[in-house]
Amino acid sequence: MTMRRLVFYGALLALSLAAPFLFPAFKTQLATLWLMIIVALSWDMTGGQMGYNSLGNIFFYGTGMYVAAVITIAIAHDVGEYTAASGGGIYTWTWGQYFAGLVIGTLGAGFFCAVCAAVIGWITFGLRGPYFAIGTLGVAIAAGELVSNWDWVGGGQGITMPNYPGDFERFKLLIYYLFAALGITLFVFVSWLYSTRFGAAINAIRDDEEKAEAMGIHTLRYKMVTWAMAAVFVGAAGAVSAFQLIHFEPLETAYQTINLGIFMVVCVLLGGKGTLWGPVIGAVMFHAFKEVTWSYFLGWQWIALGALIVVVVVYFQDGLMGYLRQRRPDWFGMRVDAGETP
Amino acid sequence: MNVRNALLSAASAVALGSSASAMECGTITLGSAISLTGKYATNGVHAQNGYEFAVSKINESGGITVGDKCHHFEVVYYDDESKGDRGATLAERLINQDGVQYMLGPYSSGLTKAIAPVTEKYRIPMVEAEGASRSLFNKGYRYLFAVLSTSEQYLASAITLAAEKAKATGKDPSEVTIAIAVENDPFSLDIRAGVLEHAGEHGMRVVLDEKLPRDLSDLTAILTKVKLVRPDVLVISGHSKGAATAVRQIGEQRISVPMIAMTHCEAADVTGNFGEFAENILCSTQWAETLTYEDPIFGSAANYNAEFKAAYPEYAEKPVPYQAAQASAAVYVFKDAFERAGSLDREAVRDAIAETDLASFYGQIRFSEAGNNIAKPMVLRQIQNGRYNVVAPSAFASHDLIWPRP
Repeated sequence: MTMRRLVFYGALLALSLAAPFLFPAFKTQLATLWLMIIVALSWDMTGGQMGYNSLGNIFFYGTGMYVAAVITIAIAHDVGEYTAASGGGIYTWTWGQYFAGLVIGTLGAGFFCAVCAAVIGWITFGLRGPYFAIGTLGVAIAAGELVSNWDWVGGGQGITMPNYPGDFERFKLLIYYLFAALGITLFVFVSWLYSTRFGAAINAIRDDEEKAEAMGIHTLRYKMVTWAMAAVFVGAAGAVSAFQLIHFEPLETAYQTINLGIFMVVCVLLGGKGTLWGPVIGAVMFHAFKEVTWSYFLGWQWIALGALIVVVVVYFQDGLMGYLRQRRPDWFGMRVDAGETP
Repeated sequence: MNVRNALLSAASAVALGSSASAMECGTITLGSAISLTGKYATNGVHAQNGYEFAVSKINESGGITVGDKCHHFEVVYYDDESKGDRGATLAERLINQDGVQYMLGPYSSGLTKAIAPVTEKYRIPMVEAEGASRSLFNKGYRYLFAVLSTSEQYLASAITLAAEKAKATGKDPSEVTIAIAVENDPFSLDIRAGVLEHAGEHGMRVVLDEKLPRDLSDLTAILTKVKLVRPDVLVISGHSKGAATAVRQIGEQRISVPMIAMTHCEAADVTGNFGEFAENILCSTQWAETLTYEDPIFGSAANYNAEFKAAYPEYAEKPVPYQAAQASAAVYVFKDAFERAGSLDREAVRDAIAETDLASFYGQIRFSEAGNNIAKPMVLRQIQNGRYNVVAPSAFASHDLIWPRP
């Protein structure tokens, strides 16, 4: 790693850590920005690097939320009684119970989602192209419907997490740093992963799956492991979201296929599929765009967002990174011999 | 809108006599995320109208006297699109960006559940009028207060009536069969829980227990099953949209059940929209204009009814929905609490709200430790010849129940 790179990454890290103090009024928005980066980067692991466009990654987000909620509630109370529509009693958590829920809930969510990804992947990775996209979308929709009819977790009422027992501004900081830690870990992890043989193998699957298979790559295993690794991060991010949002309901918040489920794909398309920085830059651009339209063009926000998606899909299919790579290939280490004609 | 505003400002100008006194008053800003679009829009608008009516009524009758200074209310609204996560975001926005220190509730238990954690985190007192599910009141929230009765009480007296009718016809109440069709949301699931509790007390059998489809726009499949199982009582709960769809399709499919009980009939204006189809349906209500409650600001319940119709002519031909009345009551609770607290300190106001014991046109308001109103009964009305007549509980009944429903 060159000195310039080291300085660049160091500055970014410092900015990430200082951000909630530099912009104290925007802690929640900044935390959500990290969430977008996490879901975009993990989506790109299968979508960009492996060529499997999942529309069902939101399944891991929603499942992570519910796993964290159930674990946190179960630590202190009976889940079925707590979620009953008929109420009754007063339910509170001690500091210890709250933090135990936060830690075990987040780790448990990541682990459970990895297992789910392996199982669902085993079934759906036989599908290719649009069939895989629709198949995974179906899984997410079905899961949302199932959970919304499951009384033990509150059904269509949704589920309410305990409020943070301490000062609220500190709580926002905590949520920010949890998301930031997850995001930074994920970034470091994938930048390492893509440089390994494993990374080369999933790229080979993307470029030509039959050929990869013929070369001796156990493609199904690679696909399942990749998706499971992505699911760990999405599930853990869902768990942190559950603590952040406190109350969430199954179809519009947890398994929100048409919002976050699509946004993560748009982020990646915007930044550039199959690149390390594309999803990050895309998430930043998308989130900035969304916050600006939601704040200043309230009432027009969905139209603006729809227009953005159309423009990206029609004109910038390779995203910002793809555009740059085409214009300035030398920035990406590609050599272009000027003047020489084939 | 313009006609209504013009009427309101004309009324306030008359009441104030001069505009000078208005100039000297301070302003207390309340905030509310409310469903102006989406599936709860009908009731969101009823609630907003209730808030606005109360604000202008209180302002024109001298405002709120805190210490010796007078104040006027104003309310900042945002449209939550009937979505919980949107509601929570907007509540944060009201508190952080607009500096709102006191909140009025949104529409529905679901939205209230999404917003209550936010107001609780910021220690913002919220008086809500439209979230009735008991599951709101077991979280230990200190800053949440609800002026309405909780949902299990909505249709309890319908079950009692069914038991009485069974006895009168020589049957045992345990022979009564019940079909339940409710929306999959906190409010309706608690309606269901209440019906199940009461049915259980009488040993009644639930023969159908269904959830309404999410968009509430087609109940054909459920009603077909109802036709097959022929229950003695059919219970439906799905806010205004659910009520409208149910009454229309009950009529179209000629569903004949001796007793049909539902919520939100007036809010959906089922008599105006579906006429004959709505006949003899039982409707629960938090408030009726025929009840004998009164207070110095709004006068009697009947007076509230008349003045509300004058201010909002779109209600002239239909009953004033209780959603509007209880929204007004929530604003009235704030006025009362500010005056008793004698300060604008949030904690002082919160404590004053907790000690509320207020006689209002909407009924008595007194909060339990958990924040729900425990001082006001629900009444059950039946649509008889296009009119809503109170049939239960017997202390308030003005008419006899028509049973069985043809």
